[in-house]
Amino acid sequence: MRRVMPNATPNATPSLARLARAGVGAFAVGVLALSACAMRPSGDERADAAAALHAGRYDEAIARYTRLAAAPDAATADRLALLRALADVGRYDDAIRHAEQWTAAPGGAAFHTTLGVLRRERGDLAGAERAFEQALAARAPDSLAARVQLAVLAMDRGARDEAMRSFASTLDDALGSGGAPRTSSDLTALGTAARYLGRTEPQRFRDALRLYDLAIAADTLDPEPRLRLAELFLEKFNSPEAQQTLAPLLAANPRHAEALWLAARRLHFDGQPGAPAQARQALQTNARFAPAHVLLARSSLDAEAYAEAAAQAEQALAVDSTRLDALATLAAARWLAGDSAGFDAVRRRALARNPQGAELYAVLAAQSARNRLYADAVRFAAEGVRLDSTSWSTAALLGVNQLRVGQMAAGRQALERAFAGDPYDVWTKNTLDLLDATAKYEETRTPRFVFVTDPKETGLLAPYLATLAEEAYDSLARRYDYRPPTPVRLELYPRHADFSVRTVGLAGFDAVGVSFGSVLAMDSPAARDRGAFNWGSTFWHELAHAFTLGASGHRVPRWLSEGISVREERRARPGWGADATPEFLTAYAQNRLLPVSRLNDGFVRPAYPEQILFSYYQASLVVELMEREWGEAAVPALVRAYGDRLTTPQAVERVLRTTPADLDRRFDAYMRERFGRQLAAVREGPPEGDDAGAAAAPQEGNYYAQLARGRALYAARQPAQAVPYLERAKALLPEAVGPESPGWYLARIRRDQGDLQGAARELAALTARDEDFYDAYLAHAEVQLQLGDSTGAARALEQTIWISPYDAALHERLAALAAATGDRRTAVRERAAVVALGPVDRAEALYQLARAQYEAGDRAAARRTVLQALEDAPNFDKAQELLLALQGSGAGGR
Amino acid sequence: MRVRLAGKWWCGMGAAAVASLLGGDPRAMTLAAASPDPASPPPSHPHSNLQPAAPTTHLLLITGAGGEPQYRAAFLEAGASMVDAALRLGLPKTHVTWLAEDPARDPARISARSDRAGVERAFAALASQAGPADQVLVLLVGHGSAQGDVPRFNLPGPDLAAGDFARLLAPVKAGRVAFVNTASASGGFVPALSAHGRVVITATKSGAERNGTRFGTHFVRAYAADGADVDKDGRVSLLEAYTFARRETASVYERDRRLLTEHAQLDDDGDGTATAEPDGRTGDGQLARAFFVGGRTVARAGAAATPESAALEQRKAALEQRIADLRARKSSMAADVYERELEQLLVQLAQVNRQLRGASR
Repeated sequence: MRRVMPNATPNATPSLARLARAGVGAFAVGVLALSACAMRPSGDERADAAAALHAGRYDEAIARYTRLAAAPDAATADRLALLRALADVGRYDDAIRHAEQWTAAPGGAAFHTTLGVLRRERGDLAGAERAFEQALAARAPDSLAARVQLAVLAMDRGARDEAMRSFASTLDDALGSGGAPRTSSDLTALGTAARYLGRTEPQRFRDALRLYDLAIAADTLDPEPRLRLAELFLEKFNSPEAQQTLAPLLAANPRHAEALWLAARRLHFDGQPGAPAQARQALQTNARFAPAHVLLARSSLDAEAYAEAAAQAEQALAVDSTRLDALATLAAARWLAGDSAGFDAVRRRALARNPQGAELYAVLAAQSARNRLYADAVRFAAEGVRLDSTSWSTAALLGVNQLRVGQMAAGRQALERAFAGDPYDVWTKNTLDLLDATAKYEETRTPRFVFVTDPKETGLLAPYLATLAEEAYDSLARRYDYRPPTPVRLELYPRHADFSVRTVGLAGFDAVGVSFGSVLAMDSPAARDRGAFNWGSTFWHELAHAFTLGASGHRVPRWLSEGISVREERRARPGWGADATPEFLTAYAQNRLLPVSRLNDGFVRPAYPEQILFSYYQASLVVELMEREWGEAAVPALVRAYGDRLTTPQAVERVLRTTPADLDRRFDAYMRERFGRQLAAVREGPPEGDDAGAAAAPQEGNYYAQLARGRALYAARQPAQAVPYLERAKALLPEAVGPESPGWYLARIRRDQGDLQGAARELAALTARDEDFYDAYLAHAEVQLQLGDSTGAARALEQTIWISPYDAALHERLAALAAATGDRRTAVRERAAVVALGPVDRAEALYQLARAQYEAGDRAAARRTVLQALEDAPNFDKAQELLLALQGSGAGGR
Repeated sequence: MRVRLAGKWWCGMGAAAVASLLGGDPRAMTLAAASPDPASPPPSHPHSNLQPAAPTTHLLLITGAGGEPQYRAAFLEAGASMVDAALRLGLPKTHVTWLAEDPARDPARISARSDRAGVERAFAALASQAGPADQVLVLLVGHGSAQGDVPRFNLPGPDLAAGDFARLLAPVKAGRVAFVNTASASGGFVPALSAHGRVVITATKSGAERNGTRFGTHFVRAYAADGADVDKDGRVSLLEAYTFARRETASVYERDRRLLTEHAQLDDDGDGTATAEPDGRTGDGQLARAFFVGGRTVARAGAAATPESAALEQRKAALEQRIADLRARKSSMAADVYERELEQLLVQLAQVNRQLRGASR
C-alpha cells in the first residue's frame, strides 16, 4: 500500500486562500509585534533599543526600553518591548509588575494579553485567565491572541471540547469576517488555533503551517511565529525543517532562550551530541526558562541519572508549578528510579491539572521506551490513548512500542489509527510504510528463534543464524541463569534505512543492531559496505542484551548492558568484539574517557562523537575487571541486583561490596596495569600530517612515530628497511589491528618475501583481534592453504562469511575445503549458500549441493535438489547420473 | 564444455558431418531439413525432433574507438576472446570478421579497420555471403553516444548512427540476424533496428546511460568461458548469453557497491520494445533462445547411424517434450504429484541418455 502524506504546501482552504490574497498590512500591534520599531531610523533611542533586543543584547535593550517606557506618554510598543525583554531573561515578576501597573493606566487594554501570558509563565493560571478575559472585554488590539490563549488554558485543564470549539470559532470568525487578520501576532495566534484543531482535523496542520508562514512574512523580525513553526515541525518529527526555521532567528540572536531550547530539542531528537549544552546556553540567557530545565531533566533520564532529572524538573516547577511537561518528567524520574510512592504523588498532581490529557502518559511512555522499558511504554501509551483518543502522537507511541515488544498486529493497528488521525507524523508514516514493505519478508523458525528476513536473503543467512543463535542462547542462558521468552524474533534489514526506521522511525540512525528484549533488529550484511561490521558478532551482542534486559527486568544500566554485550562477543569467537585501539588508548592517556560512575553519559550525551565507541569498549573492560576481581558470577549477580530495583551504588555495594567511587579507582588501576606500556607509547597522540614527513629517527617509545616511519619506508618500496620500525610499533601496541596496523604491513612484507610461516603468524595475530578485517582473513586463508593447512584455511574463510557472505566463489572454496577435510555438514551448508546467492548457472550449483548432500548421507535431500537441477536443465548429464545413482539404478553415479 | 558435447551427442557422425555442424560448412547443409523460417515460432524445446538442422553462422565483430588506453586494451581483449570463442565453437575463419581500431595490434585475428568505410564494406560482404538459411551475429564493442537523441556507435573517424546500421543491415538476407550493441548509450538502437526475425540486444536501456559499460565483457565471456549454459544442453543460446551478461554485470556493480548505470535489454519479437528479463517463453526471448553461435549442435542426423540410436533419440525427444509439458502445468498441480511425475520422466530421460552415451562409445 502506498501511503501518501498530505502535501506540505497544499491548496489552502477557501478562507485561507482569501487570507493569502489579502496580503499583509503595515501596522502591527500586540505583544509579539514589536519589530516594527526596528524599522525606524537608526540613531534613535527606540531604534537602538529594538536593535539591541533583536540581537539579544538584553541588558542594553532593557535599559533603553526602561527609559522609553518611563515617559508619561510612552508608546505602547515600547512598553510591550520592555515586557518582552524582561520575560526573555526570566525577569517574569518585574514584567508582571510593570504590566499590572500599565493595565490600570489609560490605554491599558493593550497590556492585558501580555500580562496573561506572563502570569501563565509563572503558573498563575487564574490570573492569566482573568487577564485574557479583560483583553477581550476591552476589545484590546490583540484580543484575538487573548481568545486563543483562553482556549489553550481550557485545553490544558482538560476542557477539550470547550477548547476545540473556541479554536474553531476563533478561526472561523477571524477568517470569515471579511476583514482578514493582518498582524503577525494575529496570524500566529490563528496558526496556534489551527495547530490544536489539527488533532481532529489533520488538514488543519497545513493551515497552521500556512498561517505561521504568513505571520513570518508579515513581520520577518518577530521571533514568535518562527518559534511556533519550528515547534510544529519538531512535533511532526521534521527535524531538518525545524532547523531551517530556527536558523535565521539564532543567527540574529544567538542568545534567544526559546530558540536555543528548540535547537536543543532538535539535537536531542536527532540523537546528536550537544543538546544539553544548548539547553544550558538557553539557561544562561534565562535561568528560569522552564522548558530548558525540562529538556535537561529528560537528558538526565536518558543517562539514567534519575535524581539529577528530578532536580531539574523541580527547577522548572519552581518557575511554574502547573507545567504539565515538568510534572510528567518528574513522574518519569520517580517511576524510573523505582519510587512508586513518589510517582503516584506526582501523577496525581498532573492528573489534577488535566484529568483528560494524554501528555502525562505520553511522556511516561516515551521516556520508558528511551530507558528500554518497552512493556511499560506500551502500558503508559495505552493509558494515554484511553484518556484522550485524539492524541495521535500517543497512539503512535503505543503502536511503535507494541512493535518493539513483538505485538505486530496490534502495533500496526494502533499506527494505522494514528496515521488516520494525523497523516503528518513522519515516524508513523515511515513505520507503516516499512511494515508494508516488509510484509513479504519470510519467517524461518528454529527451536527458540524466528528470523524475519527479506526473501532474497533467507536462504543465504538463515542457515548460519540458526546454528549461531541456538548456540548463543545456550551459552548466555548458562552464564546468566536466565532464559528470555521465546521465540526471540530477529529482523534483518538489507537496507540500512529500513533498520533505522524500525528502530527510531526515521532514516539516519547510525547503529547496526538493536535489542528491544526478545525482539531484535539489525542490518543484514547487505546493508553496509563489506568490512563495516560483523553480522555474527552483532547478533550475539544484541542477543546478550535480551538476556541482561530480561534478567534485570529491563533495569540494567546502559553501560553495564553494553559492556556485557561486547564482552560476550569476545567470548563467542576469537577476534569478535571490540578491542583496544590506539585511539582509545590515546583518549584514555589524555583523560578524555569518563569514569565508570559516569559512563552512561558516554553513550547518551557524549562530549565528542568517538566517545560513544570508546564507551562500549571501556564498559567491556569494566566487565572484565569485575570478572577478574570478583569472579565471573559477579556480573550476572550485578544484573540481577538491578532487577531488584537497586540503584547503582546499592547494587555495587551488595554484589561487589564497594562503592562506585572505589570502582572508578580500581578501573584506573586496572587500565594502568593492563595497558601501562601501551599508554606511554600513544600518550602524545598521532602526529599531524602524513607519513611523508615521518622522522628519519623516530622516538623509540612512540608507537605513532615508529609506525609512521615504517609506513613511509614501505611506501618508498623499502620493505626490508621498514620491518624494524613496524616491529617496534607492533611491540609497543600489539593490540593495533586493521589496514593501517603494523601487523598488516608486516604480514604483507613477510608474504612477499616468501616467509609464509611469518606471514601466517602476523595474520593469525591480526584476525585474533579484528572481527571485520575481511582482507586479513582472506589472506590468512591463502597463506594457510599454501602451507598445506586446509583446516586452518577453512576456519579463516568461515570467519569471512560473518563479515560478508555474498561472494559465491568463497563459498565454493570453503565447500571444497570442507569436503576435502571430511566436514560434510559444512560442505552442504556452503553449497546451499551458493544456490541461495542465485548464480547464473543455477543447475550446476544445485547439482553441487545435491552431490554434497549425497556425500553427507542425506539421500532424500539430494534427491529433491537434483530434481530441481534437472528441472532447470533436463539433459544435465552429471545430474542425471546422480539421479540414477540415487535411484539405485546405476553405478558410477557421481 | 565442448569436449563433453562431442562425447555426448556427436558420436557416430562422420568427421565431415561434425565439422560441418560445428562450423556450418556449406557442404553439410544437406543435413538441413529446411531453412529456418524467421516467421515461424521457435520450437517448443530446442531439442525437438522437428527442429531444423544448424544454419550457418556469420560473425561480424566491430570494436570501436577506445579513446583511452585502458578502453583500447579492453576492447582488444574482448575482440580477441570473441574471435577465439567463435572459432572454438566451430565457425570457419572465413565466417568470422573482426574490425578494430588498429588492425596492426592483432593482425592474425583482425580483418580490417573499424572505420566507417571498413564497416560498410564488411556489411556489403555479409549481404553477399549470407543466404536465407544462414544466421548473422553482429557484435559491437565500444563506446556509444546519443547526441540529439540519435544513438551512435563511436568509430575511428566518423561515427555510425543506429539508422546507418539499419540501412547496412537491410540487404542482409540471412534468415536470422542478431545485432548486439554492448556500448554505452546504446538503448536507442532497439527501436531503430527492431525487425521481424531479428534479435536486438543493447547494453543500456536508453541513450541517457552514458557511462562506460561492462556488459560487453560478460557477453563475450558467456561464449569464451563456462557458466552461461544454464540448461546444460551443451550450447549457449543468445538468450543464455544475454542473461549471463546481464546478471554478471549487475553482480559486479553490486559487489563494488555502485549504482547500476547500465540496464541491458533484448527485443526479438519485432515490436521495437525491449525486455530486460525475457523468459524466452512468451514475447521477447523466443528467437534468442534458439539462436546458437556455431549452429545447432544436436546430432539428430546421428540418429540415422543405427536403428537403436534412432529409436533412443526419438524416445529422448518424446521425453523432453513430456517434461516441457509437465513444467508448463506445474502451477496447476499438487506439488507432490508434480515432483513424482517429474522424477519419473527425468529418470527415464537419464536412462536414455546413458544408453545413448553407451552406444556412442
